[in-house]
Amino acid sequence: MTRQLITLIVNGDRYQVPVAPCETLLDVIRDRVALTGTKRGCTSGACGVCTVQGDDGRAVLSCLALAIEWDNRPVTTIEGVAGGDELHPVQKAFLEYGAVQCGACTPGLIMTAKALLDENPDPDEEAINEALAGALCRCTGHIKVKIAVREAIKAMAADAAPEDGHGIQEG
Amino acid sequence: MQLPPFAYHRPASLDEALARLSTAGDSVAALGGGTDLLINLKLRLERPRALVSVRDLPELAGVSLDASGTLRIGAGERLTDLAAHPLIVVPYPGLAQAIRAVGSQHVRNMATLGGNLCLPTRCWYTNQSENWRGSQLPCWKTDGQVCHVIKTAPNCRAIHSADSVPALISLGARVLLRSSQGERELLLADFYRDDGIENNVLAPGELITAVLVPPARVRSTFVKAAARTGLDYGYATLAGALTGSNRVPKSLLLVAGSVGTMPLVLQKPAQIILAEGLNEAGIEAAADAVRDDLGEVTNLFTPPGYKKRLMRGLVRRVLHELRRQKLPAAD
Repeated sequence: MTRQLITLIVNGDRYQVPVAPCETLLDVIRDRVALTGTKRGCTSGACGVCTVQGDDGRAVLSCLALAIEWDNRPVTTIEGVAGGDELHPVQKAFLEYGAVQCGACTPGLIMTAKALLDENPDPDEEAINEALAGALCRCTGHIKVKIAVREAIKAMAADAAPEDGHGIQEG
Repeated sequence: MQLPPFAYHRPASLDEALARLSTAGDSVAALGGGTDLLINLKLRLERPRALVSVRDLPELAGVSLDASGTLRIGAGERLTDLAAHPLIVVPYPGLAQAIRAVGSQHVRNMATLGGNLCLPTRCWYTNQSENWRGSQLPCWKTDGQVCHVIKTAPNCRAIHSADSVPALISLGARVLLRSSQGERELLLADFYRDDGIENNVLAPGELITAVLVPPARVRSTFVKAAARTGLDYGYATLAGALTGSNRVPKSLLLVAGSVGTMPLVLQKPAQIILAEGLNEAGIEAAADAVRDDLGEVTNLFTPPGYKKRLMRGLVRRVLHELRRQKLPAAD
């Protein structure tokens, strides 16, 4: 099968990868770029564990995206969410509020929540439900996930609030 | 599940895409968002030799009003953008609701309107992996001689369940079809065929380029009954669009989805409302009459007859919503 050389930009890193048209973005991210945080689940768009963030910031099902269509288009995976050792507020909230059981769905849920909050920092209940409906946890359900997302919203709003003049900013 | 091998083309212009699509007839498929096509390829339900990516063609982009007030929606527009578009949300709330009912937000971020209009019919027996299907006799859709759902059916009765379609038909939408031979325009209602296999009139090499919604001040709504709010295909859907007042309605289109191989325009309930007015008694009579409009409908998850009872409830809900809805403000 003819392969075509593409430049995949994952979390800001560039990878030159020869891909066949039938390789999905998921296949290439996991098996060629070796970033296995993005999970392979139903491979038919129903479970959301393969969610990554596309170049428009929106949640993309990498199992239903052809890698060849992502030539030179930046993608963010779960590995690119934390800033160095500092976890993203959504990741912190998932840890703190125990929004995880077996963990297989967690990368997809975090990418889904991050994509939602990047576009809308103050989503209402309906918007949260609408986004999370596309990423499933089959261990334990979405209650703790929703608690974590709501707490992440609060934490991000507090971070974004203007300085009140007291104290010295860390770092 | 892995994709089978295929060639891939990403033409830069519509003309180039149409040339690609016309060269090899059926073994070339247009690729929009891929959220349904790629699944069907993984299930080996379709075996195109080549995919032609049309999603990002500039000719398929854009949402705009022309001088007459007709809304033109490019077929390559993503559903997420359309569900929030001011030219849709304000004048046509029913269409916005219907688009938002498609798949999950993840799917809508990728899926195109043209792709949703061309969604193949689905059935519990056929939309399975090749191995799963191999455990029983092939059906009409897989080159067999039987329907596993309705044993006596003389052809494929798979269900058409593209949620945007009933809403667009209720608004009198038209579609623009282009091929390398030329362009034609037809009512979306005439685009579909009562056959689970060849469920639309798209000719080989032809592509939907845009959807046109005629100007009208309408009240519109859409409801979907499904196992889950997100992601599931509907057990049944219903779109309604009404002009005129509650006392003297001028026109009413009620269009049901997920009840057959094509969207169904409900005749009797609409006639009753137009004759009786949109009032409590009229709504009850319309809901009672919907049974007669529905043919053989089945759904493996529910007892036979369920969809007819369900549709009765949906008719009620849609008519009550239309009755209390205010007309969108004029420009």
